[in-house]
Amino acid sequence: MKRTLTRRELLRLMMAGSGAAVLAACGGQGQGGQPAPQATQAPAVVSQPGSKVKITYWGSFSGNLGEAEQAMVKSFNESQNEVEVEYQFQGSYEETAQKFTAALQANTTPDVILLSDVWWFGFYLAGAITALDDLAKQVNLDFNDYEPVLLNEGVRKGVHYWIPFARSTPLFYYNKAIWAEAGLPDRAPETWAEFSEWAPKLVKSDGSRAAFGHPNGASYIAWLFQGVVWQFGGQYSQPDFTMTMTDPNTLRAAQFYQDTVVKHKWAVLNANLNQDFLGGAIASMMASTGALAGIQANATFPVGVGFLPKETNFGCPTGGAGLAIVSRAPAEKQLAAMKYIAFATNTVNAGVWARSTGYMPVRISTKQTPEMVEFFTKNPNFKTAVDQLPKTRAQDAARVFVRNGDQIIGKGLERIIVNGEAPSAVFAAVNEELTQAAKPILEDLKAREG
Amino acid sequence: MAVTNEIERAMKPVNVRRRPIPLSLLAWRIVGYAAMIVVVVIIGLPVYWTVMAAFKETREIYSLPVTWWPAKPTLANFPAAWQAAPFGRYYLNSFITTFFGAAAEVILALFSAYALAYLRFPRKDLVFLLLLAALMVPVEITIVPNYLTVARLGWINTYQGIIIPGAAIAYGTFLLRQAFLAVPHEILEAARVDGAGHFRILFSVVAPITQPAIVTMALLSVVSKWNDFLWPLIVTNTTDMRTLPIGVFWLRNSEGFSNWGVVMAGSLFLIVPVLIGFLLAQRAIVEGMTAGAVKG
Repeated sequence: MKRTLTRRELLRLMMAGSGAAVLAACGGQGQGGQPAPQATQAPAVVSQPGSKVKITYWGSFSGNLGEAEQAMVKSFNESQNEVEVEYQFQGSYEETAQKFTAALQANTTPDVILLSDVWWFGFYLAGAITALDDLAKQVNLDFNDYEPVLLNEGVRKGVHYWIPFARSTPLFYYNKAIWAEAGLPDRAPETWAEFSEWAPKLVKSDGSRAAFGHPNGASYIAWLFQGVVWQFGGQYSQPDFTMTMTDPNTLRAAQFYQDTVVKHKWAVLNANLNQDFLGGAIASMMASTGALAGIQANATFPVGVGFLPKETNFGCPTGGAGLAIVSRAPAEKQLAAMKYIAFATNTVNAGVWARSTGYMPVRISTKQTPEMVEFFTKNPNFKTAVDQLPKTRAQDAARVFVRNGDQIIGKGLERIIVNGEAPSAVFAAVNEELTQAAKPILEDLKAREG
Repeated sequence: MAVTNEIERAMKPVNVRRRPIPLSLLAWRIVGYAAMIVVVVIIGLPVYWTVMAAFKETREIYSLPVTWWPAKPTLANFPAAWQAAPFGRYYLNSFITTFFGAAAEVILALFSAYALAYLRFPRKDLVFLLLLAALMVPVEITIVPNYLTVARLGWINTYQGIIIPGAAIAYGTFLLRQAFLAVPHEILEAARVDGAGHFRILFSVVAPITQPAIVTMALLSVVSKWNDFLWPLIVTNTTDMRTLPIGVFWLRNSEGFSNWGVVMAGSLFLIVPVLIGFLLAQRAIVEGMTAGAVKG
């Protein structure tokens, strides 16, 4: 008699089989959890001699910025026939960085990538982006013509890793109509003391208008407060990652921010400042130069801009994003990527990009090109933004190099301004949190730079 | 809707003949209606705002005080949004990934729920527990491992790369199993006596009775696939493989200043097909309820 399997036996067999499959899958991973060797090897030769080198470029620009970016790539592809760039939109700065992280593990990386001020450093530490000096030499790129304050941010140990591209700075915006109504001179305040005298005249007593607006943590208050801290003679941290949030001058700046809202009541904290400014709910604000074109196009009143107010010093940070080349890309593609970076940031194109987006021209010589001179005459506000640029400086490590540092400081500021908590207590806690968050970075930094 | 209206009409004469409703009951009824109005406003206001903003000029959207009706209605946002990105291609990709993704999810959920509800096999409780555990894993955690798997299969930037990792979702199985358990035993036994096999029982008996649950599950599945943003963004690279939500995101400026009128017009491209799907499916949910009322 033929013996057939009972259902119970069949199930047991199936389970054993699937267990073996799981084991087999683990074996494919290679020894000790290391990725399989072929996953990390870059292909040696990519193209046939004489054919175009195709490179992939990941970026975060959408809307009209995205269109400007696509136009830049198109004009590069049409300008020569050695390299073809494909621009691939990957979402916000955060999503692009997230996807790059996953792509590094899966070996599906692009060749050139746009990284924001708070992200490039992490990839530098991980060795994911490559040194650019040799590549720059091969394409005759002159680093001396880049705005030094922007370029030097991307330099570690004398080596360039991150080339400035879409860079912005904060600017003081004011509503000229309200200014005239209050009888104030048509300019931005020289100092915070002067603005404190002006502010009560700008406020509407029924509460429908404040003199000044602060953004919230999610809209990067820590970026704008960076400048204010410097103006008061303080800082977030020292270059060696020693946190200085409890420095008396840093606390003085925080106390000033709290007073504007809690004590003097002429400022408000709000998520969408552009909206409040355009609607006339606030008379002035500090905001990115990148918003200038949009605000001017949609305002129903004349818009004035000026340098940030001073306290004991002038202080203004840089921001925005730059371009980096992926270490893992084959040499041929790295060189092609460098050619694209050189093109997108050359004297003429840096001007094209600045005029169509509102970002700063990253090349010094761009300011003298006839197109730019003409643009400045038509847009004196944009000239003000560019004139402020040489006076700006790179941000403190606490905000840009510590993971999530921007949000840690931003949430602390929200507690001080919104909840009215004492700056000394809140920033002591922030100091501790930043110090903890910096520890792994310091270890990585030691491993990377010695 | 139609059914509840009929019920109300049927109830009315009875109410009229009786004495007036007690005051406390009336008060509760007012509270109930007030709560309903609050809920409708909370849900409806953002939708209303989206629709109105799509017909406004950007300058008007940014102006205060807010306008509840476009002062200068304009249709310019729609062609502007349509031309800013290849929305025709996005529609095609969204239809393909949503249709196949949701179909796979519903079919797999039907079969697995049937097995878990009616079949007897050893360690069934353990299988169900495993399913519940899968239900608890947040999607965010699985994104990177899924990406690595899909990348090693060479499925980056393909339809199967978008569809397959989401083809089996534990919540669908869980939802349908619960609905299947509520089907009266007598009906199934009757079907079995009549000689129906598993497939016949599933498709001719269980599925029609639990139609509301299945349609609800399918609807949830369709909406989640249609609106899914992060996974398609991560697993695709080129514009011709992207789906609608990414197209809408593309209309926004990541830094600086967004043209909200155009973004809202793009959002309507996304919302309208789902809204139509919802209206059609709602009929199936109500019909299922009446069709299921056979046991007596």
